[in-house]
Amino acid sequence: MKRRHSSITKERIFAVWLLIPCFLVVCIFAFYPIVYSFFLSLHRIILGLPSIGQPFIGLENYRALLHDSIALRSLVNTFAFVFISTFFELLFGLIIALVINKHFMGRGLVRAAILVPWAIPTVVSSQMWRFICNDNYGLVNYILFGSDVAQYKAWLADPFFAFAAIVVADVWKTSSFAALLILAGLQTIPDELYETAKIDGANAWQRFRKIILPLIKPALLIALLFRTMDAFRVFDLVFVMTQGGPANSTNVLQFYGYKKIFAEGFMGYGSTISVLVFMTVFVLSLLYLRIIRTRLFAETVT
Amino acid sequence: MKKWKLAWNAALTIFAVFAITVMVPITGCTKKEEDETRTVIRFVTWKPNQPEVWEEIFRRFEAEHPDIRVVREVGPHSTTAFHDLLTQKLKNRSPDVDVFFMDVIWPPEFASAGWALPLDERFPHSEQEKFLSGAILANSYKGRIYGVPLFVGSGMLYYRKDLLKRYGFTPPDTWQEMVEQAWKIVSEEGKQRELYGFSGQFKQYEGLVCDMMEYILSNQGSILNPKTGGSEIAKPAAVGAVRFVRDSIIGAIAPKGVLTYQEPESIALFIQGKAVFHRNWPYAWEMSNNPKRSKIVGKVGITKLPHFPGGTSHATLGGWQLGISKYSQNKKAAWTFVRFLTSKKIQKCLALKAGLAPTRKALYEDHEIIKAHPQFWDMKEVFLTAYPRPRTPLYPALSNVLQHYFHKVISDPNSDIEKEAFAASQEIDRILQLAQ
Repeated sequence: MKRRHSSITKERIFAVWLLIPCFLVVCIFAFYPIVYSFFLSLHRIILGLPSIGQPFIGLENYRALLHDSIALRSLVNTFAFVFISTFFELLFGLIIALVINKHFMGRGLVRAAILVPWAIPTVVSSQMWRFICNDNYGLVNYILFGSDVAQYKAWLADPFFAFAAIVVADVWKTSSFAALLILAGLQTIPDELYETAKIDGANAWQRFRKIILPLIKPALLIALLFRTMDAFRVFDLVFVMTQGGPANSTNVLQFYGYKKIFAEGFMGYGSTISVLVFMTVFVLSLLYLRIIRTRLFAETVT
Repeated sequence: MKKWKLAWNAALTIFAVFAITVMVPITGCTKKEEDETRTVIRFVTWKPNQPEVWEEIFRRFEAEHPDIRVVREVGPHSTTAFHDLLTQKLKNRSPDVDVFFMDVIWPPEFASAGWALPLDERFPHSEQEKFLSGAILANSYKGRIYGVPLFVGSGMLYYRKDLLKRYGFTPPDTWQEMVEQAWKIVSEEGKQRELYGFSGQFKQYEGLVCDMMEYILSNQGSILNPKTGGSEIAKPAAVGAVRFVRDSIIGAIAPKGVLTYQEPESIALFIQGKAVFHRNWPYAWEMSNNPKRSKIVGKVGITKLPHFPGGTSHATLGGWQLGISKYSQNKKAAWTFVRFLTSKKIQKCLALKAGLAPTRKALYEDHEIIKAHPQFWDMKEVFLTAYPRPRTPLYPALSNVLQHYFHKVISDPNSDIEKEAFAASQEIDRILQLAQ
């Protein structure tokens, strides 16, 4: 009895040892920065003015954030960007996945090609989209208006189209990633299910609604989770394509925080924005995890 | 016991991997420098418009100083992005920065933050007097000097000599005249080809502040009150100038796309022959007369920027300075390099071959330069009187508020300028109070 007990403890200690490195990494690279950002957000720290020191100002930065119209606008833009881009990414991802799940000539080639946008670094593809939207030599104008230069529009100078351009650039880039996750879900569905359904006389739409959709739900939810979190961190697209303009119509929280910290040197206030981003993502992910846990396990158990 | 050993080995292995990945790059770096017998100085610079000229200058430096090697780190073209990169390095006290370029608006910030080395001993008053006073002022903060100006710039109006002549116009004195001439020429010439009246820099970035300041100041307005230091952008003169830009320039004589233009895009329009008037810095002269790039060689005129009735022409002071990092470990070699670059012969070379306006007063009397670039002689007054942007260590924050405000009101034809100006004005006063 005693021997057995000690072997369990030993096993536990062994497990702890194995966990320590991972725990350390998480502490150094995740917990510490989060706690430190929160600490910074309670102080007034301005890089250009070391003479004022780093006075503790309590929730002053948070109060200022509530009255900051640019921050509010950025928050609204961020949410709009997250929901619109994630929706279209999942939609196109699903369509792409359904297509490349079929057997046809050159499927391998198509599957590889689909992934190309995702493999291009975002900074490069943003630059490309900036050129595409340029008012003088951009592809969009050329396709729409040909050589009728009088019609040429400055897409990125218009609040609505500039925002749309960023969404399109993101959808173009990451739909293939969503497709990849959904394709993995599709491949777990055995062919027999389709065949049985066909024999029973189910048409294509019924097969999609009753077989495919329920069975790829876990994959869809995972893709949704990944894409939402990722879209929340949007920065490079805005940085390269619009710098938040025109008139803040494409400003997002991450870019605004970056501006405050790195351009203006307002470490305290900028950290407050980072904390806001962290809180929002944290709440969102808790929400998603709940949904996934309840839905996912309910599905798999029944 | 076996399991313990296993755990121990596993932990050791993981730590070893960790240590190797972290340590190797660090030691690798220092090793490289030890192998080098020459002193290495790192120069944070941007991609120049005439790379070949700079290549030649670096070759000359290394030939004259065989004991020093200059490693260039090339940053982004946009001054805002360059600022972010550079300040990040300085903030981290990176020893990888010895010499860096500073835009004319940065010295107060870099001095106050303790990043730039004070240069008073190496660059005494007797030497400073040989430079343009505006450029020296821009490099001074609280009685000490933090940079050596390499070249200056100021806003100028470029115009198509041939087109103005064809319609019997003389270069415009007022903004209103410029708009009228532009409409007339575009309505006639524009029938046959793509032509706009004006191109300038109106993207949401630092250049927007430069451009807008020229309109506001030439309408007898100002950004900050010179005595009290409070914001003046909500005053009628400033608001009127901004309204003029929104109603008569953007989407009128200038394409709406200028709202997305920095210098490269705006000059592209002009040198392709698609714009009658163009606002830019002095380097645009060399570029618009370069047959390899420009379709309008020999057709370009240059003049002072227009003003509003009752006001006088105002140009924003621009230009770049060389600073030395406080954290540099090779300050002596760094200074040798700065002194070389800002010397008379190199400034002359930059003026002749790259069209950059020198900071040494004596060069404005130099026959060779005047012969090659008559515009420096004609525009001497402009350089001497160019107006600096507000000098405060919080300039980046101030500039961001201005950029937001300007871009917001000029990009929307129905914007409420008074209201936005008032809000921006309050924000500026709030920021400046922090520095007091």
